[in-house]
Amino acid sequence: MGPEWINPYHLQVASFAFINVILGVSIYVTLATGQLSLGNAGFMGIGAYAAALLSTRYGCPIPAGIVLGGLFAGIAGILVGIPSLRLSGVYLAIATLGSGEVLRAVLVNWESLTGGAVGIAAIPQMGRVLLSRAREAGFAPESIGLRNNQFIGISVFLILFVCAFLAVLFFLRLGRTRVGRAYAAIKLDEKAAEAAGIPVTYYKVLAFSQGAMLAGFAGALYAHTTSFVSPSDFTYHRAVEILVFAVFGGSEHLLGPVFGAAFLTMLPEALRSVSDYRDILYGILLVLTMVFRPQGVLDPPLLRGFARFRRKGKA
Amino acid sequence: MSDLLELHRIVKTFGGLSALGDVSFSVREGEILGIIGPNGAGKTTLFHVITAMLPPTQGEVLLGGERIDRLSPHAIARRGVSRTFQNLRLFSTMTAAENVMVGRHCRSRAGVWRSVLRTRGQREEERGILGKTRELLGLVGMGGIDAEQPAGSLPYGHQRRLEIARAMASGPRILLLDEPAAGMNESETQEMSLLIRRIRSLGVTILLIEHDMSLVMKTCDRLVVFNFGRKITEGPPEKVRDDPRVIEAYLGASEGDGNA
Repeated sequence: MGPEWINPYHLQVASFAFINVILGVSIYVTLATGQLSLGNAGFMGIGAYAAALLSTRYGCPIPAGIVLGGLFAGIAGILVGIPSLRLSGVYLAIATLGSGEVLRAVLVNWESLTGGAVGIAAIPQMGRVLLSRAREAGFAPESIGLRNNQFIGISVFLILFVCAFLAVLFFLRLGRTRVGRAYAAIKLDEKAAEAAGIPVTYYKVLAFSQGAMLAGFAGALYAHTTSFVSPSDFTYHRAVEILVFAVFGGSEHLLGPVFGAAFLTMLPEALRSVSDYRDILYGILLVLTMVFRPQGVLDPPLLRGFARFRRKGKA
Repeated sequence: MSDLLELHRIVKTFGGLSALGDVSFSVREGEILGIIGPNGAGKTTLFHVITAMLPPTQGEVLLGGERIDRLSPHAIARRGVSRTFQNLRLFSTMTAAENVMVGRHCRSRAGVWRSVLRTRGQREEERGILGKTRELLGLVGMGGIDAEQPAGSLPYGHQRRLEIARAMASGPRILLLDEPAAGMNESETQEMSLLIRRIRSLGVTILLIEHDMSLVMKTCDRLVVFNFGRKITEGPPEKVRDDPRVIEAYLGASEGDGNA
């Protein structure tokens, strides 16, 4: 039963791609002010654990838990950001990486709250919750020719698509306004920005906490997608993975990390047929990017080129 | 005319090195005051102190009678003190227009939510910023095509003028210009002198550091002369020019041995 081309596994890969897109936006936002934060894996962990605990222990509705997960991570971002932002460059990267690891250590050791290294299981999965709600309301997926797992896959896919789309839209819009100009000015020349009347510290903390909040938001969505979280989901491997989205996709434009996140999440699936060489090909691809496009695949001149090409096509 | 900017006994030391020693003078509302002196006399350090990019070791800076030396640079810009830099500090990959728009930051208010939601107030404010930007690019003679070029790709003279437009965007009461005619030829210097006087006619007081004596003599109402971090004299250009202490400051070092 159900159209065979709707493959729940593919939907799940695409869903993770959307979560990673949000993580890509999260590292971009802090990079937009010229700061490299490697703490986003930790903030993702805060969001994921907050959402998981709120729903499993306190019966908090999933959407509220997701929003709160993002907010908690954002607050943690402010607290980590204010002292860390006295640093810059590699020192900031190391400090944020360290604070991410500290957060993970807290998750491992605060066993009474977090379940320690085992993590938290049986977190309500949003697709399944939606399915049972739909059934309560008298709607059966079979009536539109879908199997249960197809319905679950599609609903998670759509929810995450909307979330990722809104995150990208939010920051695309912000980029072309007064706040976005302030970010760009700080990235290009902090002293000149300050002299031009921009409160640099305020905007740096703002961008840092926005990045943390987005990462927490992605983490909360992740918790309700996988229904299981443990500290090992939020190690520095994750931090580096997020960094690679920006390095590969490009960090000069928001669409760079977005493309990087989507592409690099799907790539392993595309390489399934040569699965023995998958990691080698992945590595070669990254090295080739460094050599031939050190600024990343997408950069503003390339995007302007696309825009011109499209205008010509229309004319 | 009342005093707009007052400096009281400013001292600035870097470690044991004294960059400014006990400097006091006032800038009157509506005048063009020139600061001259040999290289290393402390002129740029003085600008850094006034704009709080370097805190003074001792002394007070007053704007309109209120102390501003404890404020942060962005707060000082908001109060109406704006500056340009000796070595241009434009946002080089932004367009000329965007550079000026950044300068308007402290006179606009839209935050994150209003920006993302594009509320009516935000749209109006953006239109206002764009209008002001066009007006200022026109003022410095950079309307048209230049406005959409990346600032870093503009000819040097245009970059100098663009920086003035950006500084003007914050709506300053006093504008600090650090060698605006450096590296310019005679006709460009001439234009710069006209531009500075036009800005003054808009009601902006000007404090000017400049080495080009023809520009200084033609443009300034009064001069303050620095040497080795100290004010050696001040007064109208023609009087300062003939002051033996000034001549010595400029020529003494190279000719002093012969005369002694």
